[in-house]
Amino acid sequence: MHCGYCERRCEIKSGRTGFCRMYTVAGGAIKERFPHCWSSCGTSVIESIPFYHVYPGSRCLVIGTAGCNFRCRYCSNAYIAKEDPETQQDRMYPLAPRELVDMAKKFNCRSIIFSVNEPTVSIPSLLDVAQEAKAAAIPMGCLTNGYATVESTELLASIFSFVNISLKGLSPVFNKKYIGIPSSGPVLRNIERLAQDRHVEVTTPVIQGANDNEIDTIADFLAGIDAEIPWHVFRLLPEDEMKDAEYPNIQAIDAALRSAREKLHYVYFHNFVGSDWVNTLCPACGSVVIERFSLGCGGDKLNRVLCKDDRCPGCGRKIRMVGEKSVSREEKKEVYGKSSKFKTK
Amino acid sequence: MSIAIIDARGWQNTLDLKTGEKVETSGPAIDMVKGVLRRHPYPGDMGMESNRWVSDTALDLIDGYSPRFVFLTYAAQYFSGRYAQMTKEQRARMISDTFLEAERFIDISGFAAIIVGTGDMTPLLGFIDVTRIDGFAVCTHWTARYAGLYDPSPDDIKALEGHPQIERIVQRKEVVRLFNGTPEQVSRVPEYLMLARKGYAFKTISGAMKKPVMIPSLNFNVPLYAPGHIAEEITGIRSALAKDLSSGKNVVLIVMEGVGLDDFLWPYLLCRNGMEWYYYEPGEAQYLTITSGDHRFLDYPTGYKYFNEAEATKSYPFSGYFKSIPEKTFAATFPGKSIAAGNKSMFMHMVTGADISVECFARNLSNQGTMAVIHREGKR
Repeated sequence: MHCGYCERRCEIKSGRTGFCRMYTVAGGAIKERFPHCWSSCGTSVIESIPFYHVYPGSRCLVIGTAGCNFRCRYCSNAYIAKEDPETQQDRMYPLAPRELVDMAKKFNCRSIIFSVNEPTVSIPSLLDVAQEAKAAAIPMGCLTNGYATVESTELLASIFSFVNISLKGLSPVFNKKYIGIPSSGPVLRNIERLAQDRHVEVTTPVIQGANDNEIDTIADFLAGIDAEIPWHVFRLLPEDEMKDAEYPNIQAIDAALRSAREKLHYVYFHNFVGSDWVNTLCPACGSVVIERFSLGCGGDKLNRVLCKDDRCPGCGRKIRMVGEKSVSREEKKEVYGKSSKFKTK
Repeated sequence: MSIAIIDARGWQNTLDLKTGEKVETSGPAIDMVKGVLRRHPYPGDMGMESNRWVSDTALDLIDGYSPRFVFLTYAAQYFSGRYAQMTKEQRARMISDTFLEAERFIDISGFAAIIVGTGDMTPLLGFIDVTRIDGFAVCTHWTARYAGLYDPSPDDIKALEGHPQIERIVQRKEVVRLFNGTPEQVSRVPEYLMLARKGYAFKTISGAMKKPVMIPSLNFNVPLYAPGHIAEEITGIRSALAKDLSSGKNVVLIVMEGVGLDDFLWPYLLCRNGMEWYYYEPGEAQYLTITSGDHRFLDYPTGYKYFNEAEATKSYPFSGYFKSIPEKTFAATFPGKSIAAGNKSMFMHMVTGADISVECFARNLSNQGTMAVIHREGKR
């Protein structure tokens, strides 16, 4: 039978697995193989995930499982995403949804965030966690590659209030060679869908000579949905199958981002230590409204928030932020509808 | 102001170490250090060429700054031994290569060497899972023997005390007594400190996703190569350095990570690596104890709630746990010129107090580049 969780739509025979090795067929249905087994469960600051426009400086409980439906050549968590999930089970945290939520409360975490690998490979477990988290008023967020099916994307939207989607590249050649998928079409579709009523940030790792020529096109695409979507442009950290690759040139990428900064209101360039491009600037007057430090891959920190009530201290312009006053879909339309191309279907 | 220069491969940034803010500054030392960073990109934690990087970087700094005291850390064998499966022969060759690297540095530099190993490694036999207790346990994944325990229920205490792989549970007051802690330090000490038996490590939340093959062993004693000196414990290394330097020698202190009594290849003294039931594991406390001559477990005790301070304190954002520059480190008080180079972590600039330090900027084995810190220049 076909698995409907991601766009690979693997055909899985009874007792066998698909590409991600996280689902099997049992009793005539697709079943999760390792429910509620977590490869990671720890606290972090939300900037390090990265989320730059969600509860700045807050502590989150970071969780992850194993396996992935992509095969990126530069994966920074290959020992989790690419290794057989079965062989990883001896080091997992077996924690029930209630235990995870209790853990988040015990460590004063403002949110629970799924990162490390791809949430689409663990949707049933995450639905269970979301139920407990909602009851405890703890919002959930995730990093995702956005390759879920339409149906799964609705499930992800029901689980997560805020999402950072990795849009790795546009061309079929790039996606085939570096990611192992035929097309970025489903990712683009899902960004558009999730941006309707979830807080969305987007991340693009830039590999010189491979996808740096797509910077403007990606910026155009995101601006066409909503110019307020924060865009994290990552300097590729060469790892895994690309560990011998050249480190991308920072000045060249910064220069390539100039026109993107005209189209999108919040463009960040980081994933390397000491980056100058991690502060939030007011789109209207250019004042610094949030200062951060970049410690490289997964290590960003908040320095200080200069805006009050999510408004620029210089000109009063509203800064997009998921804060203590959560922004509902209707409020979001009201706040951003006039100043951007944000649309609601 | 202490200046940090970050080199992210092909790109450098200069910051105020304390505030993390960008600064525009230049000068002979800054220009010299920028050149050193450019010439020595970090090869990564896991290969033995990483130790060569330490030597080559230090030799380049010596050319540019002419120090009398050099502090080096070789840690490639620690990272490789910890995470890579290897045979006994492979491990022996790796340790031998580390000593050859030290020898190469000593031959080229002509410095008199004092070498200390941070302790043996032992195969990981298993984890002590303390994630599902009523209270909570805290440690980083780099520690093995120790974990802090907070808010335990009577059931927790009963279960943990009866756990076959837990050696003992020490109350906060006992930890504070052992290290003669100040009231300010007491607040960082966990309510209880749990001690694992040899070969076992605590599994807490925020634990490692990478499973180690080897972890620090029972290292009540570590090896010390210090010709002409007697130092019964690691707090005595400082006076050996001072003595050699005052005799007019140029001196290098080499810390060999993950090398203990079983593997040390040169003649050594047995050097006590702690007090009573406590011994140091490789990390900043052991370094600070060596460089200050005082036991420094309480500066950032294992098992403290580091995550609270990570969010609340804004000083020294590029210095890991450190929230201030530690006092009384050897190189900070030494009147002559000093440098440090190391591939262990981003803490050389804090634990050594050297005028100029260069270290890898690698987090959880991800190679981000290098960082240099200039605490002071202008010494003659």
